Amino acid sequence: MSVPPLLNIENLKTYFYSKGRQAFIRSVDDVSFEIRRGETLGVVGESGSGKSVMALSVMGLVGAAPGVVAGRIGLKTDDIRKNLLQDLDDYVERVEADGRVVEVRKDVVGWQKNVERLMAMVRGKTVAMIFQNPKSSLNPFLSVGRQITEAIRLHTPCKGKAESRERALYWLERVRMDSPRLRYDNYPRALSGGMCQRAMVAMVLSCEPSFLIADEPTTGLDATIQSRIADLLAELKADLGVTTMLISHDIGIIRRLSDSVAVMYGGMVVEYGPAGKVLAAGPESGHPYTAALLASVPDERNIRGKEPLQAIPGDVPDTIHVPNGCRFYGRCVRVTAAVDKECASLLPPLSEITPGHAVRCWLYEGS
Amino acid sequence: MNLKGVKPVARVLAREVAVTAFLLLGVSAVVFGILYLAPGDPFSLLLEGQTSAGAPGQGVREALGVPKAWHVQYLSWLAGMFRGNFGASIRTGLPVLEEISRVGLNTLLLTLGSMAVTLLVAVPIALYAAVRGVNRVSFPLTMAAYVVSSLPVFWFGYVVIYLFLHTFGLFPVASGGSQGTNRLYLLLPIVVLGLGNGTLSEVIRHLREEMGRVLSEDYVRTARAKGASVWKHAFKEGFLIPVTEIVASKIPFILGGAVIVEQVFNWPGMGRMAWQAAQDRDFPVIMGIAVLAAVFVRAGSLLQRFVYIAVNPGASRETVERRAA
Amino acid sequence: MRKRYIQAPGRSDEASGLRFLRKADAVDLFFVGYGLLIVVLVAASYAAGVFRLLPYDPEAVNLGLMLAPPGTAGHLLGTDFMGRDLLSRLILGIQAYFLPGLLAVAVAIVPGAALGVLAGYGAGRADRVITWFSNLVDSFPRLVLILLVVAAFKPDIYFIMVVVGLTNVPATVSLVKVKIRFLREKNFIEAAEGLGLPRRTIVLKHILWHHCRASLIIRATLGMGEAILMETSLSYLGFGVQEPTPSWGNMVQSGANYFLQGNFWPSTVPALAILLSILGFHLLGDGLNNLLERKAVH
Repeated sequence: MSVPPLLNIENLKTYFYSKGRQAFIRSVDDVSFEIRRGETLGVVGESGSGKSVMALSVMGLVGAAPGVVAGRIGLKTDDIRKNLLQDLDDYVERVEADGRVVEVRKDVVGWQKNVERLMAMVRGKTVAMIFQNPKSSLNPFLSVGRQITEAIRLHTPCKGKAESRERALYWLERVRMDSPRLRYDNYPRALSGGMCQRAMVAMVLSCEPSFLIADEPTTGLDATIQSRIADLLAELKADLGVTTMLISHDIGIIRRLSDSVAVMYGGMVVEYGPAGKVLAAGPESGHPYTAALLASVPDERNIRGKEPLQAIPGDVPDTIHVPNGCRFYGRCVRVTAAVDKECASLLPPLSEITPGHAVRCWLYEGS
Repeated sequence: MNLKGVKPVARVLAREVAVTAFLLLGVSAVVFGILYLAPGDPFSLLLEGQTSAGAPGQGVREALGVPKAWHVQYLSWLAGMFRGNFGASIRTGLPVLEEISRVGLNTLLLTLGSMAVTLLVAVPIALYAAVRGVNRVSFPLTMAAYVVSSLPVFWFGYVVIYLFLHTFGLFPVASGGSQGTNRLYLLLPIVVLGLGNGTLSEVIRHLREEMGRVLSEDYVRTARAKGASVWKHAFKEGFLIPVTEIVASKIPFILGGAVIVEQVFNWPGMGRMAWQAAQDRDFPVIMGIAVLAAVFVRAGSLLQRFVYIAVNPGASRETVERRAA
Repeated sequence: MRKRYIQAPGRSDEASGLRFLRKADAVDLFFVGYGLLIVVLVAASYAAGVFRLLPYDPEAVNLGLMLAPPGTAGHLLGTDFMGRDLLSRLILGIQAYFLPGLLAVAVAIVPGAALGVLAGYGAGRADRVITWFSNLVDSFPRLVLILLVVAAFKPDIYFIMVVVGLTNVPATVSLVKVKIRFLREKNFIEAAEGLGLPRRTIVLKHILWHHCRASLIIRATLGMGEAILMETSLSYLGFGVQEPTPSWGNMVQSGANYFLQGNFWPSTVPALAILLSILGFHLLGDGLNNLLERKAVH
């Protein structure tokens, strides 16, 4: 591991609170992983697994309360070395029972101010993010060009009007936007979803950030456009090599763009490792959830052979009433008598089965 | 009317002006209709007043001759108004327009000043509540706004006057108090109307809801994520448009409140003149004031539409109509 | 300042009734409670006034006890400038706005809902015409329009309240129209028509009763509040109810001169009554709105 980690997330916990049920919604429940420079980490999981919340936690954009309650997010680039959750413990007190947080006391307002201070020189400049729903993510009252040049003027030495315009146009071309000069003056409502996403990509990359978070960049777009955007991202990855965290529930795009993959379930990372290894999970290897997820994606053979789709039995995990044991226990089809008791009552740790490849499953413990 | 060649924005603006003109026509029809249906023949009095107030002489008088068909009467009244002839006050005999313009400025001052006061109080509370939510600061303020909005402004005025007298010890103007206290006294009706026009809690609520909604929009999140100024991005949809919307929609209430406040403070304005006219059944005056008040309301509404169109890129007919509902 | 979040131990789903209470803002319940209290008080006092169950004769002049502060000699709220008991006059004053207010509300809601249905359900042209009329009515400041009507007809309070109600029609129209548009977007209406339901049933039962009922009730409470404000403002200005018949507005007016001399109560007692009543209707409407409407939308 000669390449240093650019982003190092340690034991991140982001909770929300339901007043009606008087309970915590444990969206991100003790997540740790790292991303190395130049690498693309794909984060896979169903809706509700905590992927997006985790990304928002990194950016300091978690809105609801209490939000981030524990953890450390280390960012290390050429210019910056900081903990994005610095002094969190000055603002939060946690009370635990049975290894689980049952009470939180947090100075929400104070912490938000602290985050703004910490992230002031980071957002947009060092760490950038693109979102799902590109059409609604652009300001409908400003032209596309204005929004791009705004970012350019904020984060690059390029301050002049003409200069920043040139730069914006350059990037619009780079993201293969058709008629860049026309689109520069267009408003978002005149652009399609795919074009808006290209504009977003241009907006973030024009500031040459060290780290990019792409949260479901293709979800919500038409199927054909999805593959085009994936093409674009692949091309930019080859050209620029920006360290990326790619979040998606679309295995196809993850497979295409990721160097490493982290699989999330119920707010936790259940498998982590090189893309080749993780995405090769089968009925005998890898985490049972990963294997089931991969099996549920229909491939040519299924479709031609008209085989039934393999759904994962059971329901999406409840992040409020969190079980004591493995979170996937209720839906796991690979439980054996030997590990059944542990799976039901104890949470397995995330441990390496081969160097660089870790799984959170009792089936692999004690080997 | 085919305006294909004209720029879309200009077309939309022209349409707005046309709609307003059409509405004002309706206003005149309503005002006329009320008077026409009134017992006794107030209308001939009105028309005679119009003719004696500087219109061309004998020929018109003869042409008029009472009673005439209602559409003729309406049209001649309307024509008179376009020429600036609103008839003559039954009480004073002076031309109505002249009378009204003498005092109209005072009411305008009062109205605009009180709008400013309302906004001065409502905006900080609304913005604070939008950003911080319900907490031990915003909650009591919102509650206080409810109470203030339910205060009868005619009583509130006396309270304020009383407090003023007791702080300064004497009745300004009358006993020649200092310039300072006199000027301060002039501010009183503005403050009273600004706080007491009954719209405070609604204004706060509207501004708070709109800003709160916009702050949670995706595009504001993007602005945050790129390190841009949230206020700059949220300003148009979260502040400018809601403020102009709510102000335009509350103008009628403020004008109504002005009638009462002018009574309490004996403020020489259109409101007090309207009250006097209602008492005396001085039709030309009250009709003129009604029409002018409606013109003011529609002007405010038109201005708000202009702001909306200016702020909205390529606002199509569809967007403008949708916002109207 | 730290906020506390506690995970309640072993919570399980409780009966939905209690759940609703916990979710519902205590504030909104307080609003509704206070509002209902006011409604009951007003209605009861109205009844008392009708049956003349008053502590004193509201017109009994007592020059020996003018401008007495509250609590003097059995006068719970004091006396006015002619020594008349304020409490009795206050109770009687409710008659000035109670029935007329109900009339205003009825005039605002019934034609308003009908026109709203026409505008929302019918052809685009009906919508445009009705919108134009709504904007027309909205162009007049209510008080100015009423002064015009007063000048023309010298009407009684019921006539005036009809006019007040008419000026509130646009609000009801827009309310119903928005609801219908919402239902259309959800394909609710299409589905109902597809099922072969007669139009009258769709409109009366489904649209108005089930979907608009809450909003209309809320509109009615707010309308009543506005009616009270209108009536009291008018009687303050000298129109409407005339001396010696009491109305809260003319009571404030007659006490006004004495106010500046330090005799607060004759003006303040009715003013506070106005404040508390309008506040009650206002809060009732807003509280119901938050409880019923916000929940439904989500």
